[in-house]
Amino acid sequence: MTIAVVDYGAGNLTSVLKMLERLGEEPQIARTPEAILAADRIVLPGVGAAGEAVEKLRGRGLDAALDETVRKKGRPFLGICLGMQLLAERLYEFGEHRGLGWVEGEVRHINEVVDGHDVSVPHMGWNRVDPTPSGMEFFKRGSPQEFYFAHSYTLRPSDSAVVAAYTGYGVDLVSAVRFDSVFATQFHPEKSQVEGEKLLAAFLDWRP
Amino acid sequence: MLRKRLIPTLLLREGRLVKGVGYRNHRDAGRPETTARAHDAQSADEIVILDIDASRDARPPDFKALGLVAAECFMPVTMGGGIRSRDDACRAMDAGADKITITTTALDNPSLIGDLARLLGAQAVVLGVDVWRSGSEHLIYDFRTDRTRRDRDVMSWIGEAVDRGAGEIRLMSAESEGKRCGMDLELIAGVKKRFKVPVVAEGGAGTLEHLAEGLEAGADGVCVGTMLVFSDNNLVKIRRFLNSRGCELRA
Repeated sequence: MTIAVVDYGAGNLTSVLKMLERLGEEPQIARTPEAILAADRIVLPGVGAAGEAVEKLRGRGLDAALDETVRKKGRPFLGICLGMQLLAERLYEFGEHRGLGWVEGEVRHINEVVDGHDVSVPHMGWNRVDPTPSGMEFFKRGSPQEFYFAHSYTLRPSDSAVVAAYTGYGVDLVSAVRFDSVFATQFHPEKSQVEGEKLLAAFLDWRP
Repeated sequence: MLRKRLIPTLLLREGRLVKGVGYRNHRDAGRPETTARAHDAQSADEIVILDIDASRDARPPDFKALGLVAAECFMPVTMGGGIRSRDDACRAMDAGADKITITTTALDNPSLIGDLARLLGAQAVVLGVDVWRSGSEHLIYDFRTDRTRRDRDVMSWIGEAVDRGAGEIRLMSAESEGKRCGMDLELIAGVKKRFKVPVVAEGGAGTLEHLAEGLEAGADGVCVGTMLVFSDNNLVKIRRFLNSRGCELRA
Protein backbone atom coordinates (compact mmCIF):
# COMPACT_ATOMS: atom_id res chain seq x y z
CA MET A 1 0.00 0.00 0.00
CA THR A 2 1.44 3.39 -1.00
CA ILE A 3 0.64 6.19 1.42
CA ALA A 4 1.34 9.64 0.09
CA VAL A 5 1.90 12.48 2.52
CA VAL A 6 1.38 15.65 0.53
CA ASP A 7 4.12 18.26 0.90
CA TYR A 8 3.04 21.69 -0.25
CA GLY A 9 5.83 23.63 1.44
CA ALA A 10 6.23 25.40 4.79
CA GLY A 11 4.93 22.31 6.50
CA ASN A 12 6.20 20.04 9.19
CA LEU A 13 5.86 16.47 7.97
CA THR A 14 8.18 14.91 10.54
CA SER A 15 5.59 13.72 13.02
CA VAL A 16 3.08 12.33 10.58
CA LEU A 17 5.80 10.42 8.73
CA LYS A 18 7.26 9.07 11.96
CA MET A 19 3.90 7.98 13.29
CA LEU A 20 3.01 6.20 10.05
CA GLU A 21 6.39 4.45 10.17
CA ARG A 22 5.73 3.37 13.72
CA LEU A 23 2.52 1.78 12.43
CA GLY A 24 4.57 -0.27 9.98
CA GLU A 25 3.98 1.80 6.85
CA GLU A 26 6.48 3.34 4.46
CA PRO A 27 4.92 6.70 3.71
CA GLN A 28 6.08 8.59 0.62
CA ILE A 29 6.37 12.36 0.48
CA ALA A 30 4.30 13.56 -2.48
CA ARG A 31 5.32 16.85 -4.09
CA THR A 32 3.97 16.24 -7.59
CA PRO A 33 0.57 15.41 -9.10
CA GLU A 34 2.01 12.08 -10.32
CA ALA A 35 2.97 11.05 -6.78
CA ILE A 36 -0.57 11.74 -5.59
CA LEU A 37 -2.16 9.89 -8.53
CA ALA A 38 -0.01 6.82 -7.78
CA ALA A 39 -1.02 6.60 -4.11
CA ASP A 40 -3.45 4.18 -2.48
CA ARG A 41 -4.04 6.44 0.51
CA ILE A 42 -3.44 10.13 0.89
CA VAL A 43 -2.66 12.30 3.90
CA LEU A 44 -2.87 16.07 3.59
CA PRO A 45 -1.24 17.51 6.70
CA GLY A 46 -1.80 21.03 7.77
CA VAL A 47 0.64 23.65 8.75
CA GLY A 48 0.75 27.12 7.37
CA ALA A 49 -1.66 29.90 6.61
CA ALA A 50 -4.57 29.28 4.23
CA GLY A 51 -3.58 31.74 1.51
CA GLU A 52 -0.06 30.40 1.08
CA ALA A 53 -1.29 26.80 1.21
CA VAL A 54 -3.97 27.27 -1.45
CA GLU A 55 -1.51 29.05 -3.71
CA LYS A 56 1.08 26.31 -3.35
CA LEU A 57 -1.43 23.50 -3.95
CA ARG A 58 -2.76 25.16 -7.10
CA GLY A 59 0.64 26.35 -8.30
CA ARG A 60 1.89 22.77 -8.33
CA GLY A 61 -1.28 21.28 -9.81
CA LEU A 62 -1.81 19.23 -6.65
CA ASP A 63 -5.46 20.29 -6.31
CA ALA A 64 -6.44 18.62 -9.59
CA ALA A 65 -4.52 15.48 -8.65
CA LEU A 66 -6.32 15.32 -5.30
CA ASP A 67 -9.70 15.75 -7.04
CA GLU A 68 -8.89 12.94 -9.43
CA THR A 69 -7.49 10.52 -6.85
CA VAL A 70 -9.86 11.11 -3.97
CA ARG A 71 -13.12 12.35 -5.47
CA LYS A 72 -13.11 10.39 -8.75
CA LYS A 73 -11.21 7.22 -7.81
CA GLY A 74 -12.35 7.16 -4.19
CA ARG A 75 -8.98 6.55 -2.57
CA PRO A 76 -9.07 7.08 1.21
CA PHE A 77 -8.02 10.56 2.26
CA LEU A 78 -7.04 11.98 5.64
CA GLY A 79 -6.87 15.76 6.05
CA ILE A 80 -5.27 17.22 9.15
CA CYS A 81 -5.92 20.71 10.56
CA LEU A 82 -5.45 23.09 7.63
CA GLY A 83 -5.77 19.92 5.53
CA MET A 84 -9.39 19.75 6.73
CA GLN A 85 -10.07 23.46 6.27
CA LEU A 86 -8.80 23.36 2.68
CA LEU A 87 -11.76 21.09 1.82
CA ALA A 88 -14.17 24.02 2.21
CA GLU A 89 -15.43 26.18 -0.63
CA ARG A 90 -14.16 29.41 0.89
CA LEU A 91 -11.59 30.30 3.54
CA TYR A 92 -11.35 33.68 5.22
CA GLU A 93 -7.82 33.97 6.60
CA PHE A 94 -5.87 37.13 5.67
CA GLY A 95 -8.33 37.67 2.79
CA GLU A 96 -10.67 35.31 0.96
CA HIS A 97 -9.42 32.11 -0.66
CA ARG A 98 -11.08 29.38 -2.69
CA GLY A 99 -10.58 25.91 -1.20
CA LEU A 100 -10.94 22.49 -2.82
CA GLY A 101 -14.73 22.77 -2.47
CA TRP A 102 -15.33 19.19 -1.34
CA VAL A 103 -17.32 20.43 1.65
CA GLU A 104 -20.08 22.97 1.17
CA GLY A 105 -19.34 25.72 3.61
CA GLU A 106 -16.65 28.07 4.73
CA VAL A 107 -13.79 28.56 7.14
CA ARG A 108 -14.21 31.46 9.57
CA HIS A 109 -12.22 32.96 12.41
CA ILE A 110 -13.17 31.40 15.75
CA ASN A 111 -14.02 34.84 17.14
CA GLU A 112 -16.80 35.14 14.56
CA VAL A 113 -18.52 31.95 15.67
CA VAL A 114 -18.15 31.76 19.46
CA ASP A 115 -21.19 33.94 20.17
CA GLY A 116 -19.58 36.15 22.74
CA HIS A 117 -18.12 33.26 24.76
CA ASP A 118 -14.93 34.32 26.47
CA VAL A 119 -12.31 32.09 24.86
CA SER A 120 -8.70 32.63 23.83
CA VAL A 121 -7.79 32.35 20.18
CA PRO A 122 -5.98 30.36 18.82
CA HIS A 123 -7.72 27.32 20.29
CA MET A 124 -4.47 25.80 21.49
CA GLY A 125 -3.89 22.65 23.46
CA TRP A 126 -5.58 19.36 24.34
CA ASN A 127 -9.34 19.20 24.16
CA ARG A 128 -12.00 16.52 24.13
CA VAL A 129 -13.38 15.16 20.89
CA ASP A 130 -16.94 13.83 20.84
CA PRO A 131 -17.64 11.69 17.78
CA THR A 132 -21.01 11.61 16.03
CA PRO A 133 -22.30 8.16 14.99
CA SER A 134 -20.57 8.53 11.62
CA GLY A 135 -17.25 9.26 13.32
CA MET A 136 -17.38 6.35 15.79
CA GLU A 137 -15.35 4.06 13.59
CA PHE A 138 -12.29 6.32 14.00
CA PHE A 139 -12.49 6.75 17.76
CA LYS A 140 -12.34 4.20 20.52
CA ARG A 141 -15.80 3.88 22.01
CA GLY A 142 -16.47 4.74 25.60
CA SER A 143 -13.85 6.85 27.30
CA PRO A 144 -13.52 10.50 26.37
CA GLN A 145 -10.61 11.17 24.05
CA GLU A 146 -8.38 14.19 23.95
CA PHE A 147 -6.33 15.46 21.06
CA TYR A 148 -4.07 18.43 20.38
CA PHE A 149 -5.57 21.47 18.64
CA ALA A 150 -3.80 24.58 17.31
CA HIS A 151 -6.03 26.74 15.14
CA SER A 152 -7.60 30.18 14.87
CA TYR A 153 -10.04 29.31 12.09
CA THR A 154 -12.84 26.78 12.02
CA LEU A 155 -14.75 24.90 9.35
CA ARG A 156 -18.48 25.63 9.16
CA PRO A 157 -20.10 23.04 6.87
CA SER A 158 -23.54 23.89 5.46
CA ASP A 159 -24.65 20.29 5.91
CA SER A 160 -24.12 18.82 9.38
CA ALA A 161 -24.34 15.30 7.92
CA VAL A 162 -20.62 15.46 7.12
CA VAL A 163 -19.65 16.13 10.73
CA ALA A 164 -17.82 13.21 12.35
CA ALA A 165 -16.95 14.91 15.67
CA TYR A 166 -17.49 18.06 17.68
CA THR A 167 -15.33 19.76 20.30
CA GLY A 168 -16.62 22.21 22.86
CA TYR A 169 -14.90 25.59 22.95
CA GLY A 170 -17.51 28.12 23.95
CA VAL A 171 -19.63 26.65 21.17
CA ASP A 172 -19.36 23.28 19.46
CA LEU A 173 -16.59 23.48 16.88
CA VAL A 174 -16.45 20.88 14.10
CA SER A 175 -13.41 18.76 14.96
CA ALA A 176 -13.76 16.06 12.28
CA VAL A 177 -15.66 15.46 9.03
CA ARG A 178 -16.35 12.28 7.12
CA PHE A 179 -17.98 11.65 3.74
CA ASP A 180 -17.34 9.28 0.84
CA SER A 181 -13.62 8.41 1.02
CA VAL A 182 -12.74 11.54 2.98
CA PHE A 183 -11.95 11.78 6.69
CA ALA A 184 -10.43 14.91 8.14
CA THR A 185 -9.64 16.27 11.57
CA GLN A 186 -9.15 19.77 12.91
CA PHE A 187 -6.87 18.41 15.63
CA HIS A 188 -3.44 16.87 15.11
CA PRO A 189 -3.45 13.08 15.55
CA GLU A 190 0.28 13.05 14.74
CA LYS A 191 0.86 15.29 17.78
CA SER A 192 -1.53 13.47 20.07
CA GLN A 193 0.67 10.66 21.33
CA VAL A 194 -1.12 7.34 21.96
CA GLU A 195 -4.65 8.45 21.06
CA GLY A 196 -3.39 9.99 17.85
CA GLU A 197 -1.60 6.84 16.87
CA LYS A 198 -4.79 4.82 17.37
CA LEU A 199 -6.69 7.20 15.16
CA LEU A 200 -4.10 6.95 12.38
CA ALA A 201 -4.27 3.17 12.68
CA ALA A 202 -8.06 3.36 12.28
CA PHE A 203 -7.60 5.44 9.13
CA LEU A 204 -5.17 2.86 7.72
CA ASP A 205 -7.76 0.12 8.34
CA TRP A 206 -10.62 2.15 6.87
CA ARG A 207 -12.30 0.68 3.79
CA PRO A 208 -14.70 3.37 2.62
CA MET B 1 -12.93 21.44 27.86
CA LEU B 2 -9.55 22.81 26.88
CA ARG B 3 -6.91 21.43 29.23
CA LYS B 4 -4.16 23.41 30.90
CA ARG B 5 -0.71 22.42 29.66
CA LEU B 6 2.45 21.21 31.34
CA ILE B 7 5.42 22.08 29.13
CA PRO B 8 9.04 21.13 29.74
CA THR B 9 11.52 23.71 28.46
CA LEU B 10 14.88 22.49 27.22
CA LEU B 11 17.81 24.88 26.91
CA LEU B 12 20.33 23.99 24.27
CA ARG B 13 24.01 24.97 24.17
CA GLU B 14 26.58 23.42 21.87
CA GLY B 15 24.42 20.38 21.27
CA ARG B 16 23.82 19.66 24.96
CA LEU B 17 21.06 20.60 27.34
CA VAL B 18 21.92 23.03 30.10
CA LYS B 19 20.18 24.65 33.00
CA GLY B 20 21.13 27.91 34.62
CA VAL B 21 20.04 30.44 37.15
CA GLY B 22 19.05 33.93 36.03
CA TYR B 23 20.42 33.34 32.52
CA ARG B 24 23.89 32.36 33.74
CA ASN B 25 25.87 29.67 35.58
CA HIS B 26 24.74 27.03 33.15
CA ARG B 27 25.30 23.41 34.10
CA ASP B 28 25.16 20.40 31.84
CA ALA B 29 21.77 18.71 31.84
CA GLY B 30 22.18 15.85 29.40
CA ARG B 31 21.52 14.88 25.84
CA PRO B 32 18.58 16.63 24.19
CA GLU B 33 17.15 13.57 22.43
CA THR B 34 17.30 11.38 25.55
CA THR B 35 15.48 13.98 27.60
CA ALA B 36 12.91 14.59 24.88
CA ARG B 37 12.18 10.86 24.68
CA ALA B 38 11.62 10.72 28.44
CA HIS B 39 9.24 13.67 28.30
CA ASP B 40 7.28 12.08 25.45
CA ALA B 41 7.01 8.84 27.43
CA GLN B 42 5.65 10.82 30.38
CA SER B 43 3.06 12.50 28.14
CA ALA B 44 4.35 16.06 28.22
CA ASP B 45 1.60 18.20 26.68
CA GLU B 46 4.17 19.85 24.45
CA ILE B 47 7.83 20.78 24.59
CA VAL B 48 9.84 23.97 24.12
CA ILE B 49 13.48 23.92 23.04
CA LEU B 50 15.59 27.05 22.94
CA ASP B 51 19.07 27.53 21.56
CA ILE B 52 20.22 30.00 24.20
CA ASP B 53 23.32 31.32 22.42
CA ALA B 54 21.84 31.89 18.97
CA SER B 55 20.41 35.38 19.48
CA ARG B 56 23.44 36.65 21.31
CA ASP B 57 25.71 35.25 18.59
CA ALA B 58 23.35 36.61 15.89
CA ARG B 59 23.02 33.23 14.19
CA PRO B 60 20.14 30.83 13.52
CA PRO B 61 19.47 28.06 16.04
CA ASP B 62 21.15 24.64 15.94
CA PHE B 63 18.66 23.00 13.57
CA LYS B 64 20.40 19.66 13.82
CA ALA B 65 19.94 19.39 17.58
CA LEU B 66 16.38 20.69 17.27
CA GLY B 67 15.72 17.98 14.72
CA LEU B 68 17.00 15.29 17.07
CA VAL B 69 14.56 16.47 19.71
CA ALA B 70 11.61 16.68 17.31
CA ALA B 71 12.31 13.13 16.15
CA GLU B 72 11.51 11.88 19.66
CA CYS B 73 8.33 13.88 20.14
CA PHE B 74 4.76 12.90 19.33
CA MET B 75 3.56 16.09 20.89
CA PRO B 76 3.95 19.67 19.66
CA VAL B 77 7.44 21.15 19.61
CA THR B 78 8.18 24.86 19.86
CA MET B 79 11.63 25.97 18.76
CA GLY B 80 13.36 29.23 19.47
CA GLY B 81 16.65 31.06 19.56
CA GLY B 82 17.94 33.41 16.90
CA ILE B 83 15.03 33.04 14.46
CA ARG B 84 15.16 36.31 12.54
CA SER B 85 13.68 35.59 9.11
CA ARG B 86 11.07 33.62 7.19
CA ASP B 87 13.89 31.37 6.04
CA ASP B 88 15.01 30.58 9.61
CA ALA B 89 11.40 29.83 10.55
CA CYS B 90 10.96 27.51 7.57
CA ARG B 91 14.14 25.66 8.46
CA ALA B 92 12.88 25.24 12.01
CA MET B 93 9.56 23.87 10.72
CA ASP B 94 11.43 21.52 8.39
CA ALA B 95 13.52 20.35 11.34
CA GLY B 96 10.26 19.33 13.03
CA ALA B 97 8.95 22.42 14.82
CA ASP B 98 5.21 22.99 15.11
CA LYS B 99 5.62 26.48 16.48
CA ILE B 100 8.47 28.90 16.60
CA THR B 101 9.11 31.37 19.38
CA ILE B 102 10.75 34.74 18.91
CA THR B 103 11.76 37.07 21.70
CA THR B 104 14.64 39.50 21.11
CA THR B 105 14.49 39.10 17.32
CA ALA B 106 10.87 40.33 17.47
CA LEU B 107 11.94 43.36 19.51
CA ASP B 108 14.63 44.11 16.90
CA ASN B 109 12.18 43.68 14.03
CA PRO B 110 8.49 43.69 15.04
CA SER B 111 7.33 43.15 11.45
CA LEU B 112 8.82 39.65 11.68
CA ILE B 113 5.78 38.66 13.77
CA GLY B 114 3.34 39.43 10.96
CA ASP B 115 5.60 37.94 8.30
CA LEU B 116 5.73 34.64 10.15
CA ALA B 117 2.01 34.65 10.98
CA ARG B 118 1.14 35.02 7.30
CA LEU B 119 3.58 32.28 6.38
CA LEU B 120 2.87 29.74 9.12
CA GLY B 121 -0.44 30.83 10.60
CA ALA B 122 -0.79 32.70 13.89
CA GLN B 123 -1.03 29.41 15.82
CA ALA B 124 2.63 28.74 14.99
CA VAL B 125 3.99 32.09 16.15
CA VAL B 126 4.77 32.38 19.85
CA LEU B 127 5.98 35.69 21.18
CA GLY B 128 8.42 35.32 24.04
CA VAL B 129 8.44 38.19 26.50
CA ASP B 130 11.20 38.32 29.09
CA VAL B 131 9.97 40.44 31.96
CA TRP B 132 12.04 41.94 34.74
CA ARG B 133 10.16 42.95 37.84
CA SER B 134 11.57 45.92 39.60
CA GLY B 135 9.46 46.73 42.66
CA SER B 136 5.92 46.98 41.33
CA GLU B 137 7.10 47.76 37.83
CA HIS B 138 7.35 45.23 34.98
CA LEU B 139 10.04 45.96 32.42
CA ILE B 140 11.14 44.21 29.26
CA TYR B 141 14.47 42.48 29.78
CA ASP B 142 17.03 41.88 27.02
CA PHE B 143 19.24 38.98 28.04
CA ARG B 144 21.77 39.81 25.31
CA THR B 145 22.78 42.97 27.11
CA ASP B 146 21.57 41.93 30.58
CA ARG B 147 19.61 45.19 30.70
CA THR B 148 16.00 46.21 30.83
CA ARG B 149 14.66 48.24 27.93
CA ARG B 150 12.89 51.50 28.49
CA ASP B 151 11.79 51.89 24.89
CA ARG B 152 8.86 49.52 25.27
CA ASP B 153 6.26 48.76 27.89
CA VAL B 154 5.31 45.10 28.57
CA MET B 155 1.57 45.45 28.00
CA SER B 156 1.79 47.67 24.94
CA TRP B 157 4.42 45.39 23.40
CA ILE B 158 2.20 42.33 23.89
CA GLY B 159 -0.73 44.26 22.45
CA GLU B 160 1.27 45.24 19.39
CA ALA B 161 2.51 41.67 18.90
CA VAL B 162 -1.00 40.21 19.13
CA ASP B 163 -2.23 42.77 16.59
CA ARG B 164 0.62 41.77 14.31
CA GLY B 165 -0.37 38.11 14.53
CA ALA B 166 1.33 36.46 17.52
CA GLY B 167 -0.79 33.44 18.44
CA GLU B 168 0.57 32.74 21.89
CA ILE B 169 2.56 34.55 24.56
CA ARG B 170 5.37 32.84 26.42
CA LEU B 171 5.73 34.96 29.49
CA MET B 172 9.07 34.60 31.15
CA SER B 173 9.70 36.06 34.53
CA ALA B 174 13.35 36.76 33.91
CA GLU B 175 14.52 38.06 37.25
CA SER B 176 13.20 34.99 39.05
CA GLU B 177 14.35 32.39 36.52
CA GLY B 178 15.87 29.42 38.29
CA LYS B 179 15.46 31.07 41.70
CA ARG B 180 12.41 29.09 42.87
CA CYS B 181 10.73 32.05 44.53
CA GLY B 182 7.30 31.63 42.95
CA MET B 183 5.76 32.77 39.66
CA ASP B 184 4.80 36.37 38.94
CA LEU B 185 1.06 35.93 39.47
CA GLU B 186 0.22 39.58 39.04
CA LEU B 187 1.90 39.63 35.64
CA ILE B 188 0.15 36.44 34.48
CA ALA B 189 -3.26 37.65 35.61
CA GLY B 190 -2.66 41.09 34.09
CA VAL B 191 -1.78 39.72 30.66
CA LYS B 192 -4.64 37.18 30.65
CA LYS B 193 -7.11 39.88 31.60
CA ARG B 194 -6.10 42.16 28.74
CA PHE B 195 -5.46 39.75 25.89
CA LYS B 196 -7.52 36.88 24.52
CA VAL B 197 -4.61 34.72 23.43
CA PRO B 198 -3.12 31.67 25.11
CA VAL B 199 -0.46 32.51 27.67
CA VAL B 200 2.14 30.09 28.95
CA ALA B 201 4.18 31.15 31.93
CA GLU B 202 7.67 30.34 33.03
CA GLY B 203 10.13 31.41 35.64
CA GLY B 204 10.26 31.27 39.40
CA ALA B 205 8.49 28.00 40.13
CA GLY B 206 10.38 26.10 42.82
CA THR B 207 7.55 24.03 44.24
CA LEU B 208 4.53 22.27 42.80
CA GLU B 209 2.42 24.76 44.67
CA HIS B 210 4.02 27.58 42.65
CA LEU B 211 2.94 25.92 39.39
CA ALA B 212 -0.62 25.53 40.65
CA GLU B 213 -0.68 29.22 41.55
CA GLY B 214 0.49 30.15 38.05
CA LEU B 215 -2.34 28.17 36.47
CA GLU B 216 -4.87 29.52 38.95
CA ALA B 217 -3.72 33.05 38.06
CA GLY B 218 -4.92 32.30 34.52
CA ALA B 219 -1.98 30.82 32.63
CA ASP B 220 -3.04 28.35 29.93
CA GLY B 221 0.14 26.41 30.54
CA VAL B 222 3.23 26.37 32.68
CA CYS B 223 6.74 25.70 31.45
CA VAL B 224 9.04 23.76 33.72
CA GLY B 225 12.80 23.80 33.50
CA THR B 226 14.79 23.90 36.72
CA MET B 227 12.23 21.85 38.57
CA LEU B 228 12.67 18.89 36.25
CA VAL B 229 16.40 19.00 35.84
CA PHE B 230 17.82 19.17 39.33
CA SER B 231 15.19 17.65 41.56
CA ASP B 232 13.29 14.44 42.01
CA ASN B 233 10.20 15.84 40.33
CA ASN B 234 8.95 14.41 37.05
CA LEU B 235 6.05 15.19 34.77
CA VAL B 236 3.88 12.37 36.08
CA LYS B 237 4.24 13.52 39.65
CA ILE B 238 3.71 17.18 38.77
CA ARG B 239 0.63 16.40 36.69
CA ARG B 240 -0.88 14.30 39.47
CA PHE B 241 -0.36 17.09 41.97
CA LEU B 242 -1.80 19.79 39.70
CA ASN B 243 -4.86 17.69 38.93
CA SER B 244 -5.39 17.01 42.62
CA ARG B 245 -5.42 20.80 43.03
CA GLY B 246 -8.15 21.06 40.39
CA CYS B 247 -5.93 22.60 37.70
CA GLU B 248 -7.54 20.51 34.95
CA LEU B 249 -4.63 19.06 33.04
CA ARG B 250 -4.91 15.88 30.99
CA ALA B 251 -5.35 12.89 33.27
